[in-house]
Amino acid sequence: MRGPHLGVLCIALLCAAAAQSSAAPPGAGAALYLEGRLPDGRPLQAIGPNGVVARGADAACVNCHRRSGLGSREGDITVPPLTAAYLFRDGATNAADAALAHPPGTTPRSFAYTPETLLQTLVSGVRPDGRSLRAPMPHYVLDATAGRALTDYLASLGVAPAPGVGADEIVFATIVTPDAEPVAREAMLTVLRAYFATQAEAAAARRDEARPNGVAPYRATRRWRLQVWALSGPATDWQRQLGDYQAQDPAFALLSGMAGRDWAPVHAFCEQARVPCLFPNVDLPVVAEQDFYPLYYSRGVLLEAELLRARAAGVRRFVQLYRRDDIGLAAANALRAHAAGVVVEDRVLPAAATTLQARATQLAHALDGIGAEAATLLWLRGDDLRALGNPPPGRILASGLMAGLDDAPLPARWRARTEFAYPLDLPARRALRMRFPLAWLKAHDIPVTALRVQSDSWLACDILAGILEHVGDAYVPEYLVERLETMLGRRLSDGYYPRLGLAPGQRFASKGGALVRLAEDGTVVPVVDWLVP
Amino acid sequence: MPVAARSSRRWLLPCLAVIAGAFLSLAACVVRADEPEAADPHAHHRAMLAQQVRRSEVAYALPNVRVVRQDGKAMSLADALGDDRVVVVNFIYTTCTTICPLSSQVFSQFQAKLGAARGRVHLVSFSIDPEQDTPARLVEYAKKFHAGPNWDHYTGAIEASIAVQRGFDAYRGDKMNHGPLTLLRAAHGKDWVRLDGFASADDLLAAYQDLVARH
Ligand code: HEC
Repeated sequence: MRGPHLGVLCIALLCAAAAQSSAAPPGAGAALYLEGRLPDGRPLQAIGPNGVVARGADAACVNCHRRSGLGSREGDITVPPLTAAYLFRDGATNAADAALAHPPGTTPRSFAYTPETLLQTLVSGVRPDGRSLRAPMPHYVLDATAGRALTDYLASLGVAPAPGVGADEIVFATIVTPDAEPVAREAMLTVLRAYFATQAEAAAARRDEARPNGVAPYRATRRWRLQVWALSGPATDWQRQLGDYQAQDPAFALLSGMAGRDWAPVHAFCEQARVPCLFPNVDLPVVAEQDFYPLYYSRGVLLEAELLRARAAGVRRFVQLYRRDDIGLAAANALRAHAAGVVVEDRVLPAAATTLQARATQLAHALDGIGAEAATLLWLRGDDLRALGNPPPGRILASGLMAGLDDAPLPARWRARTEFAYPLDLPARRALRMRFPLAWLKAHDIPVTALRVQSDSWLACDILAGILEHVGDAYVPEYLVERLETMLGRRLSDGYYPRLGLAPGQRFASKGGALVRLAEDGTVVPVVDWLVP
Repeated sequence: MPVAARSSRRWLLPCLAVIAGAFLSLAACVVRADEPEAADPHAHHRAMLAQQVRRSEVAYALPNVRVVRQDGKAMSLADALGDDRVVVVNFIYTTCTTICPLSSQVFSQFQAKLGAARGRVHLVSFSIDPEQDTPARLVEYAKKFHAGPNWDHYTGAIEASIAVQRGFDAYRGDKMNHGPLTLLRAAHGKDWVRLDGFASADDLLAAYQDLVARH
């Protein structure tokens, strides 16, 4: 049974409970909204349309109204915003408030909720104006204590000013770690600076248009300002440095960024400081899809490990080569994790050798005695590939990202026999899409020095610009991430990637990759066009 | 691709009967008399349509593509849909938090309500986010909704997924844009009964019984 009958019953219970309502512990509202946990620890219970019951996390408001409380839209279904500014004042006032987000599809209400009528609505499924809440909005079993915790929480949503958002500008930061490769780092910074300069010009032009008639400048005309947060010293100190940067001159979001081996402290900072971290140039991201704020293009070398494992499904023995201090270590561990019942032998090279001769000696030693039945897996950079001597007799697999993709300097004897993981779209298939970043680079007089970094950095800016068009006035960090979750899949052209897409609980936008060989002349020869492991 | 579409009024009768009888399924059959909302009449209209279950009968020419079942077995779409059971189709993705849990709950209830007829009905859920929804993730998802042996989940290459959605006129360009939809077919070669909107388990049961009675 649904609607008024149950509602009346519940309101009666509610009133009884109200008499003995006690204050909920701090954080109780957040636990209810985000995790579906009632103040007394029991799971929240939702009675959905048609009597479908959901409990606990499955019943939590965040599933639909999202972390920002600004709602969402799926097909024809609009989930309205729930922040205090919407609920506790009438719709006409809302609609006139330019400082509020007005997500597409929301219709202003003609009345304001009070904490009491809100609770009644949630319990009965009928609004104060007599209209029933439509599917998929459930109604809830809530007592007055839970109701108070919830309304207090809703009142707190969207109240704190977003960091890095000023009257005329919005601040973004990009991170460079001390172990970032210098050419790549400069390539990224050049792209970001050029993008920001162009955006600032366009924003100034739009502001000037808005001023003559006294119209308040729409926030979307704010100038983007770029900060470069250069980290130094050991990785263990980076999170502290990032906290200092954020305290001094806060950023609304981190954009792009250049990693070397270690990105985990940046990831941890973003999650803990609640700063969106959008699409850094990192080949070893942190896999923690329950985290909210960091978003990545792909799982990088961890994806490669799964691609190679899937490609070599029949192989019973792997020998993996990597340097002790490089990201191949994590990739090798990922491969082993996906190779239950298979022999996986790691031949670990010492931390960076300097001379070609030293590398050659180390590699010859590591490759010694590998039998024909084993697949050799190279988690090696170009400097090491150049120093390779005789190939082993069996199958050879390699990381394309670490090797330098199309430019991998693989000796001739290895070329015909080595299959690379290639977690990007194949050159022939991406050629049309790549015209966008290439034309942009050309228009900005930027020579191609590290195309993947340049294209991915440009793409991060382009994605951000596109999303901000759809954020309206709602400069809320969580809302930025939520819009990305919803809208990323609608872009038409994503540079190196055949398609990008996110969703709640999805933090890696590109899910698969190709397997390729490299011909003598550098042509990429597809072995498998696209594989999602 | 809809080849022939004719809407049917037959649906109204069982609906009214149910309402008169037991005040059940109210939500699914009747457009609620909501207050008009001034600012965006179209949004309101769209939302009303989403509430109503609209029924039509359509002959779909389905594409010849391969799909992959939750156990990893690849097969043609025709094989996935075509044995002598009645087939009931919906579209989901496993990280969807708004609509899909409800659709899957409804399948779960429907499966229970079928009782002894359960073995004669094949429930089929196609993922519309196939690159994310690997067979392993589908198994996990199916478990969450207590999917029995007659309820399969399918994924596949992205092109195949889009082709299947297009085949059922359900493709809206992006996974985040899909609406609630259920399709039923009495047997191979028959037309599909299409239910747009949040159909309840009782709606599905009524549609199934109607289908069997007419077949
Ligand atoms: C399964 C998705 C879902 C969940 C979970 C959910 N909601 Fe909703 N909610 C909606 C939808 C959809 C609407 C719009 C209904 C309508 O237009 O009639 C809505 C409407 C509302 C409204 C009415 C807003 C207005 O403008 O009148 C309130 C208040 C609300 N929800 C609060 C909550 C709270 C609090 C929770 C958690 C305890 C919650 N909702 C959980 C989907 C959901």
